[in-house]
Amino acid sequence: MNDWYDESNPSLTRRRFLQALGASSAAAMMTGAPQLVSADRGEGIEEIAARADAVIVLWMAGGMAAPETFDPKTYKPFEKGLPVEQIISTFPAIDTAVDDIKISQGLEEVAKVMDRATLIRSAIQPDLGHILHSRHQYHWHTGYVPPITVAAPHLGAWMARLLGPQDPVMPAFVNIGQRLEGVGEKEELKAFTQPGFLGSAYGPFNVPYPEEAGRAVATPKGMTPKRFEERYEQYKKLIEAGGDAYIDEYHEDSMRQAVDNAHALLGSEKRKAFDISLEPKESYDKYNTGRFGRGCLLARRLVEAGSRYIEVTTEYVPFLHWDTHEKGHETVKRLKDEIDRPIATLIRDLEERKMLDRTLVIIASEFSRDMMIEGVPGSNAKDQSRAKTDVLKEMKHYGLHRHFTGGTSVVMFGGGTKKGYIYGKTADERPNIAIENPLSVEDLHATIYTAMGISPKTMFEIERRPFFVTKDGRGKAAMDIFA
Amino acid sequence: MKRYCPAIFAVIFFACDALSKEVDFHTEVAPILMKHCYECHGGTEAKGGFSINTRALWLDKKAAKPGNGKASEVVLLMREEDPEFAMPPKDKPRMAEAEIVTLTKWIDQGMKWDEGFTFAKSTYEPPLAPRRPELPKALPGRDNPVDRIIDNYMIEQKLKKQPELEDAAFYRRASMDLIGLLPDPADVERFAKDSDPNKHAALVDKLLANDRAYAQHWMTFFNDLLRNDYTGTGYITGGRKSITNWLFKSLLDNKPYDQLTRELLAPTKESEGFIRGIKWRGDVNASQTTEIQFAQNVGQVFLGINIKCASCHDSFLDSWTLEESYELAAIYSDKPLEINRCDKPTGKIAKPGWLFPELGEVDPKAPKNERLKQLANLMTAEGNGRLTRTITNRLWHRLMGRGVIHPVDAMETRPWSEDLLDQLAISLSDEKYNLKSVLRLITTSHAYRSSSLKLEKEPETDGYIYAGPLLKRMTAEQLMDAIRQVTETQPPGDTRASMKPSDFLQRALGRPNREQVVTSRPQELTTLQALDLANGEALNKMIQQGATSLLNKHKGKDPQDMIKLVYNRALSRDPSPAERNICRKMLGDPMIQQGLEDMLWSVFMLPEFQHIQ
Repeated sequence: MNDWYDESNPSLTRRRFLQALGASSAAAMMTGAPQLVSADRGEGIEEIAARADAVIVLWMAGGMAAPETFDPKTYKPFEKGLPVEQIISTFPAIDTAVDDIKISQGLEEVAKVMDRATLIRSAIQPDLGHILHSRHQYHWHTGYVPPITVAAPHLGAWMARLLGPQDPVMPAFVNIGQRLEGVGEKEELKAFTQPGFLGSAYGPFNVPYPEEAGRAVATPKGMTPKRFEERYEQYKKLIEAGGDAYIDEYHEDSMRQAVDNAHALLGSEKRKAFDISLEPKESYDKYNTGRFGRGCLLARRLVEAGSRYIEVTTEYVPFLHWDTHEKGHETVKRLKDEIDRPIATLIRDLEERKMLDRTLVIIASEFSRDMMIEGVPGSNAKDQSRAKTDVLKEMKHYGLHRHFTGGTSVVMFGGGTKKGYIYGKTADERPNIAIENPLSVEDLHATIYTAMGISPKTMFEIERRPFFVTKDGRGKAAMDIFA
Repeated sequence: MKRYCPAIFAVIFFACDALSKEVDFHTEVAPILMKHCYECHGGTEAKGGFSINTRALWLDKKAAKPGNGKASEVVLLMREEDPEFAMPPKDKPRMAEAEIVTLTKWIDQGMKWDEGFTFAKSTYEPPLAPRRPELPKALPGRDNPVDRIIDNYMIEQKLKKQPELEDAAFYRRASMDLIGLLPDPADVERFAKDSDPNKHAALVDKLLANDRAYAQHWMTFFNDLLRNDYTGTGYITGGRKSITNWLFKSLLDNKPYDQLTRELLAPTKESEGFIRGIKWRGDVNASQTTEIQFAQNVGQVFLGINIKCASCHDSFLDSWTLEESYELAAIYSDKPLEINRCDKPTGKIAKPGWLFPELGEVDPKAPKNERLKQLANLMTAEGNGRLTRTITNRLWHRLMGRGVIHPVDAMETRPWSEDLLDQLAISLSDEKYNLKSVLRLITTSHAYRSSSLKLEKEPETDGYIYAGPLLKRMTAEQLMDAIRQVTETQPPGDTRASMKPSDFLQRALGRPNREQVVTSRPQELTTLQALDLANGEALNKMIQQGATSLLNKHKGKDPQDMIKLVYNRALSRDPSPAERNICRKMLGDPMIQQGLEDMLWSVFMLPEFQHIQ
């Protein structure tokens, strides 16, 4: 245990942590770095009481087809020779815990907790003329369509900067399940998986493999905790021995504080939250449908331990998982197997711990999919299906193989949202565009920020220009979804 | 300096700082004053003889009693019920209760005012033409023009000179700054023993003559500046083109900066990546087309002008207009370029042109390549002192820790010494745009040779007065190289970190994704970075390999000698007896691999190691 960290006195710890943050942000100003300026544009102060303390985003990377998951339409089973234009859903609808909410077969466990959910069926994305997943993902995660003139911060970074972690020793923003090396479009993924102009203090704690998270906060490989502790003790002595002849107090303190903070986490009981192998077997098994499921378990443990924003992804890899350019039906069936039980377990666990009301869980994706339409009707986006055909000939043709930006489902649980509620609607016949309460990315973000007690008009000044938490400060929360 | 344009305040009226309870003048009070008082009592207006422009003016007029908000005249006037006397006057909206409370609290707390802040409009007009300042008389033995200006400045400011750096520390600083590498201890020792009074200049010359190391080091700076990278967004779809080979060769040959600029603006196949920008497939916002990126990057990189505002609408902050941005963009455009205001077409076509017509015009009828050539020539014309001021200010910032104008991309603001900036700029053009000559001018000055300021707290951001150089944090690339140098683990060949794609650890240490122009790196170690350094795989592995390498290469070495070796290499100094004792304990008895690993980690994590004194 290091010299200032004292679990019996959390307020002291918190103060030191804030001091450290303060030191880094003040020095950042020297380089012309950002300053929090305002939460308002002149229409009166908007103080929002937080409905939620934490966010868990369950990211369906690659474009989750709404008609195959949370917005089922007319079902047509596979049949050779069937004209593909007749196909909207390849799974039948099933009942849920709420009478008038139907979702898609394969989500039976989630169906049982839909009475805790607000189901948004009318999320929409802009037509960018060409579908590139990572560009839409950038938009979804930062609220800005790239390219832009300054590096836009990720949602999680905004939360880290504006709210900090719930518990001072925990990282505020944790990103689970996405590799940033060795996958296609990795540079594009890195471009938004970052804190942008807010500075690296607010960046993500990346955990590509949930089962390795414990390692990320353990002592280095091959080093016993005792040795690790001893090394740190000697290091502190070495700094003291160096005196002030070679470095000044300010630079020494600010660097030491960062190292202290790091060791506070590494020496804290909290770090056990990262180690999912410590979860009781019965509970572990409920989550363990694969990497995503284990990610959900890790997310639950971290939110309990005091992280602020956690994202768990099914992982974006071009043409894999939700990115179905062919064999859509089979792939989606497998994916639903992977996500169904862990999501339902997560919701139940949070509820059991009385945390659901203050934790906003969001299932989302960069856009939906369609059998026929690329983008939206009228878009000149290039058709990227790899299973082009007029009539079904083989199973690989069966599924939604084009990217659709006209109507996407987002599911929210907890965090002050209504229970068993549907917001927005898409047309039942193709094109299945949002026909009620279309919700843009900016408005969806405004809704999330509002739940967290952050005004959508919150603004930073960077390079002497305003930069808002939602584009131009204009995001408008869908207040109807709050209870 | 926090000098805000009133227009920004006009749209903001309330502010909150999530972390502090103290009323913040800048974000909370100033907006209220802008909204209710500025029109009649700010800028050039002073109705009733009262101006809110500076704190002193408030006190002069006894408008407020710091420490006692309720009894202060302004607050009494806000609360006055008689409409004839109340403020704001009866034809204006009253202040909201919350606003009065904020003002009162602010006065209660002592009326803190951002140093140097004024509501008066900035009257500063940055000069365009180069200027040869009249140099003050030199103090004995200090005739470097930089010293003549700074010595005089320090006398005027009644400041004491910083003591000179010791020889070894000077060597380490110059070597890190000019070629990005730690010095060899034997060289440092020789340098310290050398009694030649000109040895400092000789060292600078020796370092600058190391063309290869120089070029490799400055790749970091120029890649950031020109947003060039080895991997990154855009390359995947051919929407971006690297200029690496051209850039490296240019630095290796010390290509004159005017030529370098011309080759970027009117490029060959090798250097065209810069003006081509980053093109994403699909549609982009009108303010982010490659043409507008061209205008923004050209403005920022070469002129320190931010026309990002003026890419959507006329700038609130300075005099740049939307039309001027589009005119610059139109030089690069293949087809007539329609002006968009806030992403909406206006129907107006931009005529190709550039920002300083007083230096000459671009012929709007000329074909694109010709227009680019004309722009390149205008940009590097002798009369364009902005080009030379901008780059020399950036070099000063790199070497001294802070720009003469700061931040370095706010070239429209007043430098702390116009003479110094103008002198740096003119020496660049005097020396045929030889960048090394400016680096030499600065690094052979006594100003550069003085020890950096010992700060007890965070540096002031307002009302900056130069008092000496500031400590600089190593870049991620420097840190990687330095660790490899100390542990003798440099891979063979040209494999400096700056020459290779970024990696997880370097990104964590602040190496940017080069999607945008980057002109300064973060100066602080953050908790997340510290975590990566404390237990991260990457550094841990480097240290394990480092310890193995040192033990192999120095078999049978006495532990005390090992400690000395590491300190000499890493910090360019001997360990003190106390440091020796601590390190000796870490090494184990007999010295073991694990012990050396722990000692290396501790030394590499020393603030002293990670900074350039």
